[in-house]
Amino acid sequence: MKVALSVFKDSISTVFDVAQQILLLEIDGANRPKRTALKIEATDPAQRAAQLSEEGIEILICGAISRPLQEAIMARGITVYPFVRGKTEDVIAAYQSGRLGNASYALPGCRGRGQGRVRSRNRGMHCRWR
Amino acid sequence: MKSKKPVKQKEIYSSDEQNIILDSIADGVFTVDREWRITSFNRAAEEITGVSRSEAVGQFCKDVLKADICERNCCLRSTMKTGKQIVNKNVYIIDAEGRRIPISISTAILRDKKGKLLGAVETFRDISVEEDLRKAIQEKYSFVDIISKNHKIMQLFDILPDIASSGSTVLVEGESGTGKELFARAIHNLSPRKKQPFVAVNCSALPDTLLESELFGYKAGAFTDAKKDKPGRFRLAENGTLFLDEIGEIAPAMQVKLLRVLQEKTYEPLGATQSLEHNVRIITATNKDLEQLVREGRFRKDLYYRINVFKISLPPLRERMEDIPLLVNHFVGRFNVLQNKNIQGINEETMSVLMSYSYPGNIRELANIIERAFILCKTGLIEKKHLPESLFMNAADYSAGEASSLRDVEASYLLSVLKQNNWDRLKTARQLGMHKSTLYRKVKSLGISLPL
Repeated sequence: MKVALSVFKDSISTVFDVAQQILLLEIDGANRPKRTALKIEATDPAQRAAQLSEEGIEILICGAISRPLQEAIMARGITVYPFVRGKTEDVIAAYQSGRLGNASYALPGCRGRGQGRVRSRNRGMHCRWR
Repeated sequence: MKSKKPVKQKEIYSSDEQNIILDSIADGVFTVDREWRITSFNRAAEEITGVSRSEAVGQFCKDVLKADICERNCCLRSTMKTGKQIVNKNVYIIDAEGRRIPISISTAILRDKKGKLLGAVETFRDISVEEDLRKAIQEKYSFVDIISKNHKIMQLFDILPDIASSGSTVLVEGESGTGKELFARAIHNLSPRKKQPFVAVNCSALPDTLLESELFGYKAGAFTDAKKDKPGRFRLAENGTLFLDEIGEIAPAMQVKLLRVLQEKTYEPLGATQSLEHNVRIITATNKDLEQLVREGRFRKDLYYRINVFKISLPPLRERMEDIPLLVNHFVGRFNVLQNKNIQGINEETMSVLMSYSYPGNIRELANIIERAFILCKTGLIEKKHLPESLFMNAADYSAGEASSLRDVEASYLLSVLKQNNWDRLKTARQLGMHKSTLYRKVKSLGISLPL
């Protein structure tokens, strides 16, 4: 499974709409995840979503994200964990242990709205609370 | 007699008093310490960002504001570094609902009496109204302004950047009100010609003789009242894009002239003796079936092939019903801004009526329905009584009863899409972007009976 984290320096990038770097984790369950750095240069939602899809990404963990961009990504069957903050390594550990819903990983003002809420087209139009 | 002692001026306001003063300001104001952590956050800042003071204070300002400039072009950082104020810089923030809110920010440095750096202050105001009006006036629409999660529109989004950069002639087909001009403008604004003019002409609005002088212009003396040269739309769109709407309406004689202009890339203003070369990208649009018009001999086949280098077909709103909640939210937000109201949204019952309607006038009609509701609805949520009666006459059978729950809305929507697709399950599933087994499961769980 390919999990993408939108990063800036050693943390999750605050706004995905303008983020330029992706840390790609390839998780197979058995081995240590393979890590790759990707650059995203497209600025319009469709192209950003297309690039993620072309890379075979299934899950995106990111900071604040605008609704049109999130919809475009979800329309490609990618599950989005929006409004996440924190040090990249902490967020990876939290994701792998199922603790990403903890309030400490939510951007201020987004608890119970953005973070902790997984949005995925495959799971229907509505939010699934973790 | 003792002289009266002067009243000692109060030198500093208490923390509570400072908060009262800050809260009385209409602009958002927050201060940060030298570590970029928020030390004060006023009421307007709470309203604009959607983050409460208690949540904001002590946090990094970038996490609270969530602005596009926070990481690479932070204004506070620049002010702290240079000591220079920044005034009215336009940026955008993203609130917890995923809305992009355009704001104008100003920054200044904070020092104590001895000149020691304490931190910085940022003031900001919501400029959504100005931005919305600016876009409406300048018509600088981009793909971000096209609101959809429909799979057909998504497929268009995938290819539009390539079409835009190609420079080829594009034909946009779609019913009236589906957003043909919006797409044309988006293509232009994504193309290398984006800094050049976008000129739109509605071909059906002018009789043939006028259309010719409108498109190609005329020379002085070309006819009685032609006192001086007048540039045509081709000239005005030079190096840019010319959008010819309602192309299916032009008469055969004009079709021939247009074909020549497209083939030879030259045109002659009325009364001119020499041809002028043009460098104009042509985007055409029609709400007619041009192929049908060609078969009927009402539209030239050669012109059709010339304009149909790339065809974009925009689905009518009834085929992208999943976009209705998004569009309704957009229009409610827009009319709130334009009419200075605070309508919260639309209730489920009303949404179910909107989802059951067929929208012959497409998105334009939906916008008008919401605008009309804004006249009748003073505050709170838009209700059924604020909708025009014509909607209820066409409502689908399923919502004829009191559809009051989300389940009813879902069932009503599913039924309407199935009907549109003539009960074709596979087509319906594809339109809804779900697997056919998911569709079957939903149909079963919602108790919808399908014809055999």
